[in-house]
Amino acid sequence: MFKRSLLITAVAMLAIAGCASQKGPATKAIADAEAAISAFKDDAARLLPDDLAKLETTLTGMKDNFAKGDYKAVVAASPDLWSKVAALRDATAAKKAEWEAATAAAKEKWTGYATDLPKMVDAIQSRVDILGKARRLPRNVSKEAFDNAKTGLDWMKTQWAAANDAFNSGDAIDAASKAQAVKDKGDEVLKLLGLAPSA
Amino acid sequence: MADEQNPYTQHYVVKKGDTLSKIAGEFYGDPLLYPKIFEANRDILTDPNRIKPGQKLRIP
Repeated sequence: MFKRSLLITAVAMLAIAGCASQKGPATKAIADAEAAISAFKDDAARLLPDDLAKLETTLTGMKDNFAKGDYKAVVAASPDLWSKVAALRDATAAKKAEWEAATAAAKEKWTGYATDLPKMVDAIQSRVDILGKARRLPRNVSKEAFDNAKTGLDWMKTQWAAANDAFNSGDAIDAASKAQAVKDKGDEVLKLLGLAPSA
Repeated sequence: MADEQNPYTQHYVVKKGDTLSKIAGEFYGDPLLYPKIFEANRDILTDPNRIKPGQKLRIP
């Protein structure tokens, strides 16, 4: 009986010693993973937030095991974590390159919108103001078309202000998208008013 | 003119027999609004009653 107890104790001691010997590698695995993630965390949070959340859940699980003293589990899970870290790092870099290219294209488009759209709005505003004073509308503009043109102009001014806000806050992609919507609406309003751009 | 370089401003080339009132009636539905056209073209018009065929007018 004594021998059996001694054996159990010895095995337990070996297990504890074995597990404790994993503490250093486990500590390092977590620290290294955190350092690697922090290098691209801001970009991932902006560009791939769901993927980052999944990775952080995995890391949290490892930390829980570490807190419970299950260093072996931490070390065992480390290769899988590293593979996920590398995958997200690469995906974030690819997404960032894509975003930068889209932003550069949007900025280029914005230059044209910034020159063109205020003129479009001015021309429409001028015609709306003048037709608003007319005793009757021209033959090619119905009352319904004129009313729709006025509503459209109001929308264009609001949306153009929002586009400028987006651009000034650094979101050129959203700004260009809003500006394109203003241009599309402007083309529609020009038709409603019987206006065609000069060649 | 504010709309001098505006590609969205409409233009009209004066034809024989045209008057600013007639043009205003055509574009605005109201001949009495001819001063709007005259004011937009002060760089080429000095008298609203004197327009010449071939003149390219801005129609604001």
